[in-house]
Amino acid sequence: MEEKKTLLEIKDLEVIYQTDEATVHAVNGINFSLNEKETIGLVGETGAGKTTTALTILRLLPERTGRIKGGQVLFRGENLLDKSVPEMRRVRGAEISIIFQDPMTALNPALTVGDQVLESLEIHNTAGKSKQELNARVDELFNLVGIPAERKAEYPHQFSGGMKQRIVIAIALACAPQLLIADEPTTALDVTIQAQVLKLMENLKEELGTSMIIITHDLGVVAETCDKVAIMYAGEIVEAGTVEDIFNGKEHHPYTVGLFNAIPNLDEKEERLRPIDGLMPDPANLPQGCKFGPRCPHFTEACKAQTPYIYEEKEHRIMCNLFKKEAADE
Amino acid sequence: MGKFVLKRLLALIPTILIIVFVVYFILDLTPSSPGQLILGQMATEEAVEAKNIELGYDKPFLVRYVKYIIQLFQGDLGTSWVTGKGVLESVFARFPVTVTLSAGATVLGIVIGVLLGILAAVKQYSIFDAAGTTLAMILASFPAFWIGMMLVILFAQELGWLPSYGTGSIAHYILPWFTTACAFIASQLRMTRTSLLESIRMDYVRTARAKGQKESVVIYRHALRNALMPVVTMAGMNFGTLLGGTVTVETVFTLNGVGTLILTSIRSKDVPVVVGAIVILAICYTLVMLVVDILYGFIDPQVKARYIKN
Ligand SMILES: Nc1ncnc2c1ncn2[C@@H]1O[C@H](COP(=O)(O)OP(=O)(O)OP(=O)(O)O)[C@@H](O)[C@H]1O
Ligand code: SF4
Ligand SMILES: [Mg+2]
Repeated sequence: MEEKKTLLEIKDLEVIYQTDEATVHAVNGINFSLNEKETIGLVGETGAGKTTTALTILRLLPERTGRIKGGQVLFRGENLLDKSVPEMRRVRGAEISIIFQDPMTALNPALTVGDQVLESLEIHNTAGKSKQELNARVDELFNLVGIPAERKAEYPHQFSGGMKQRIVIAIALACAPQLLIADEPTTALDVTIQAQVLKLMENLKEELGTSMIIITHDLGVVAETCDKVAIMYAGEIVEAGTVEDIFNGKEHHPYTVGLFNAIPNLDEKEERLRPIDGLMPDPANLPQGCKFGPRCPHFTEACKAQTPYIYEEKEHRIMCNLFKKEAADE
Repeated sequence: MGKFVLKRLLALIPTILIIVFVVYFILDLTPSSPGQLILGQMATEEAVEAKNIELGYDKPFLVRYVKYIIQLFQGDLGTSWVTGKGVLESVFARFPVTVTLSAGATVLGIVIGVLLGILAAVKQYSIFDAAGTTLAMILASFPAFWIGMMLVILFAQELGWLPSYGTGSIAHYILPWFTTACAFIASQLRMTRTSLLESIRMDYVRTARAKGQKESVVIYRHALRNALMPVVTMAGMNFGTLLGGTVTVETVFTLNGVGTLILTSIRSKDVPVVVGAIVILAICYTLVMLVVDILYGFIDPQVKARYIKN
């Protein structure tokens, strides 16, 4: 295997939302890294801070409320958090693209889909290509995502959800980014379309060699598409590792165990995962020590006292005191 | 599209029936003698009586109403009891003043209101937002005649920059325009602000930012365009309402518009002019709203698609 080059490295990232009522601790010191041509799955239930993490990478947090309290987002060694606004604009859409959660609302209803794809190309047209060349590229992108290029003069409301998602993907891929962030790219689509869109993304990844962050709550999607996995809970990555570590490894965080136990049967697919009794703590009011403590079957007083022990074995990291005891026993 | 226009025009018919009925009914509550009005104070009682009978004024209310409606749909609005001129002619003679006043005020309202609204929304919670919102509140809460008088006192009497009455030139219209526009600036500002704030939060605006688009283009190309729908409706409604609602301002600035025509005609009980003028205004209002609806199509492709299908 060739030498892996690190593309993205997130270090101790901490993000809050400061609203009038409360301080929401959405992301609390997460670390992960991603190599070129690799795909990482970010898994966790609703409110875990997945979207917040994605928005932070592109510095698209809501201006008034979202605040990055600390940490680094190193993209090819440069800290994106230090970049100026115009520098950041050159990264967005060109080097890092994002596909948002809901394709139904992600497109501007007043512009033709062709113009919306073209817009990406125009913004980053540093090579000074002619209008014709750009339009040819729009056609190419439509073909790439499997939509007849003749339909580019139509408006978003003339397309189905799955097709809209394809257009959103075309926009994201327009400038051949090195990193594509897909925030629940298939959640809003029905099952058959989900499979098609995933297949499309998989093919594109192979063809273009793009690295991806796939945000999902569906472990099935992770198993199919990812090289690495990070399990998020209450703004922390409680367990991370290769797909092999997570799906076949011996050691697991109690939350991961819960997640796997909660995988629904094929014929009764649930909307959202409810892995374990209880709810995720309110991020405006997080518990002391281990944030999973209140729901954990292995909870002890020690878990409340301080942040849990971090178990590490090669790429596999688990944030839980259970493994500290084991280490002491041996 | 043609079908859509036709449908809207047909809807005018019941509207006119109701309007005429109401106006006719109210005017009929106080006794009137068209014979006296037409023949003047010097006419003999017999002559007046004979004229009233000729006009069918001895007949019951409903009979007169039906007769008027029949004439109306034949395109005959009747003649003024006071001046003897055709109603259509009298109203159209006054029309340019009212249209100039309404159109100018609408344009001012849109330009100032929308610009301040954009500023308030884009710089939400800033000093611009606070100032804009406060201005809107002040403008909306003072009555037009009061604002008009204050402007007259300041710019006509004290500073002597502008004329305070009449219609001779553009300068004559400046104070009436601003007076009329005040309420619009307020409503347009608020509407633009609310609507834009809403569309700025939409996902597609975030998509545009994620493409690396400049913030100014994001606002103009993505947020504003979608925020404009309610603003256009409101502008159309404002203009339509204005056509019939400039009486106060016309009176304050002694402009001879349709508003003052209706007012003097009510005073002199010149029923055909009152009813005729109101019917014409109702038709104009409908036409303006129709144009607004068609304008929609240019902004919102979904609406355009619907017209074409119909
Ligand atoms: N603009 C905001 N203002 C205040 N709190 C916010 C805002 N956006 C998100 N949050 C809060 O931050 C936390 C993390 O939200 P985030 O959207 O990152 O979760 P998520 O993992 O993407 O969830 P989902 O699966 O529902 O998309 C949640 O508690 C959420 O309520
Ligand atoms: S640290 Fe303690 S409470 Fe937290 S997951 Fe591990 S065992 Fe459970
Ligand atoms: Mg999310």
